[in-house]
Amino acid sequence: MSTEATNAPKIKLVTSDNAEMEVDRQVAERSILIKNLLEDLGGDNDEAIPIPNVNEAVMKKVLEWCEHHRNDPPASQDDDSDSRKKSTDIDEWDQKFMQVDQEMLFEIILAANYLDIKALLDVGCKTVANMIKGKSPDEIRKTFNIQNDFTPEEEEQIRRENEWAEDR
Amino acid sequence: MKRSREVDDELEHPTKVRRVAKVDKLSKLSDELLVRILSFLPVSSLLTSQRISKKYSRLAVDSELWKAAYYRTFVLPRASRIPGIKNPGAHDRLHYSSRLSRWLDDGALVKEGAKTKWKQQYRLRHNWSQGKCAVSEIVVSERPPEPPLLVMLSNSTVFAADSMNGLRAWSVRDERELLASTPLSLAATDTLQLPVSMAIDSNDGEEACERIVLGFDDGSFSIYALRRDQKRFDTLFTHPSSSNGMLSALAMSSPYLLTMTEDHLLSLYVFAEPEDNESRLDPPRLLYSLRSHTAWPPVSLSLRTTATSMTAAIAYSLPTYLSGWTVGVQELNLSHKGELLRSRLATAADEHSFTLSAYRSTSSSSTRSSSPLPGTPREPPLTITPSNSKPTSMSYSHPYLLVAHPDNTLSLYLVKSTSSTLYISSGNRLWGHTSSISGAHVGTRGKAVSISRLGDELRVWDLEGGSASLANRRRFRNGELSVRVQPSRAADESQDRQDEDSGRNFGLKLALDQAFDDSSVSQGWVGFDEQNVIVLREKREGSQALVVYDFT
Repeated sequence: MSTEATNAPKIKLVTSDNAEMEVDRQVAERSILIKNLLEDLGGDNDEAIPIPNVNEAVMKKVLEWCEHHRNDPPASQDDDSDSRKKSTDIDEWDQKFMQVDQEMLFEIILAANYLDIKALLDVGCKTVANMIKGKSPDEIRKTFNIQNDFTPEEEEQIRRENEWAEDR
Repeated sequence: MKRSREVDDELEHPTKVRRVAKVDKLSKLSDELLVRILSFLPVSSLLTSQRISKKYSRLAVDSELWKAAYYRTFVLPRASRIPGIKNPGAHDRLHYSSRLSRWLDDGALVKEGAKTKWKQQYRLRHNWSQGKCAVSEIVVSERPPEPPLLVMLSNSTVFAADSMNGLRAWSVRDERELLASTPLSLAATDTLQLPVSMAIDSNDGEEACERIVLGFDDGSFSIYALRRDQKRFDTLFTHPSSSNGMLSALAMSSPYLLTMTEDHLLSLYVFAEPEDNESRLDPPRLLYSLRSHTAWPPVSLSLRTTATSMTAAIAYSLPTYLSGWTVGVQELNLSHKGELLRSRLATAADEHSFTLSAYRSTSSSSTRSSSPLPGTPREPPLTITPSNSKPTSMSYSHPYLLVAHPDNTLSLYLVKSTSSTLYISSGNRLWGHTSSISGAHVGTRGKAVSISRLGDELRVWDLEGGSASLANRRRFRNGELSVRVQPSRAADESQDRQDEDSGRNFGLKLALDQAFDDSSVSQGWVGFDEQNVIVLREKREGSQALVVYDFT
């Protein structure tokens, strides 16, 4: 997908809808899944790597992100060490990148999770968290079209239980 | 690469992204991913999320989420206040990780593992920091006993002892039921014993069985075990009366017992652990005794044990010729066999060696003229040095030594005890109360509570790190070290309901708001554990009640 670095080694990916994509190895290796696969296959391998859980449209989007972040330091292996910032701050490029419809947003999250791209997964999760933050339960339900399966009494009960945290 | 049209449109109108879903895609994500999303939410949104649907109400109480929130809110900020932990923000070790974080002394909660209810712990700490609690009252006697009632609080159980009603224990949880009671009379003679001091075993081996030791005015003492399951006290040991006089202070950390008599004879005993838990204890061996000639009441005893040695400490008030009263600590370091390894004495450092006033004067020097104009209200002279008046109450929980004075202030000293030195920092005065303080109690983590004499003002203090850390100096100047405790609204609502059936709950009733007036006078006693603060209050007509402030 990138033409700037013509000398860089390339690999081939095959998406769930059978589209073949050529991509710089360094870019594809933002995905820990692909990185480990390539290491397991060893050496030079021209075989296309099947990615059965991600379709072409989503894969393009994911690779666009990987391309932009190709030179970021590698993610830490410790999954829950919170060197990842706890705030929901997202850098500007990522914010624009995530301005997609909900369907695509969740597809990116699922793909990032499957491909094991932690930084992209966090950007996706933060984007969703920002859509929840500061909203009332009703507004959140409307945003995501979530079915309310509480009776009004049950919902009121939870509200009362959590009253202690309300600002006075 | 070419973007799809849709994305380009959105880039042109970034604020108008249509994000209203037709189908609920969010709920289709795995629980693991949803918890990851929730992990980016602040606590307020986390609580709101519980009300979205049943699925989210289950996910948003995930213990890992609350554990992380607890760490962020209560553990990290503390790190900056403790001298010795530098630059917590910059230091990787202090980032939260379920495996690697430094929990300071909340580590016990982490070790409990799956048993810890993190949301509950978060709520508890939150309520402490806000001074929010529910208030209830346990009526303990119709008239004040002589000598005064002794009360302690441990593990959500209130222990009270007086000559008329004996030793009693209440649970401060839900029902506030009477757990057990035993009369305090000698079986042989049927004469009433007068309890004058009380201590709870700080080495709580078994949860089901707590040990309480009572000291009496004839110099005898008794050890009791509370058997919760059988709702009774068992007498484990009774020491005969002694000519050394009444026992004015006690401390216990099994198998050691530290006693101090009225005329300052300090004795350290060791008990042989019985093999069978039911049986009575054999008479103890006296390990060490010492007469102190300097200690004046009020005193506070403390006993700390380590694998190799134990430290017995007496904190006491001390009159000085020039400057009124100060405090001292005598520390005895003993091997488990009772050999005295070291005995040291320290009194509070020169009170002028360190004051906080310098900080304030630099901040206000620009606005203050060198010669105040007539009529300009002068700033009151700022003295941060401890009060020189005789202390009314003393509480020592290493390294914090908290002293209450009758002039609305408290003094906090930090005791530094290393292998080479024993040192008491110069005290710092704590303001906040608007009337005379009659009791104060400090616990681990530097959490302290104090009560005014009229019983109308209860304050919760966070004194961690003393004044040595910069963060505390700033908080000190801003008057942020304490919060006044306010009964929560929830308690008011349930008050009317509960008042009606108060009669059968062993004389328990919820405190009425108007009880906080001048007709109620605190006896000057206060104590707390993790979840509750209790205050002994005496009404004008003489009846006494324990007021329980429940922070859960």
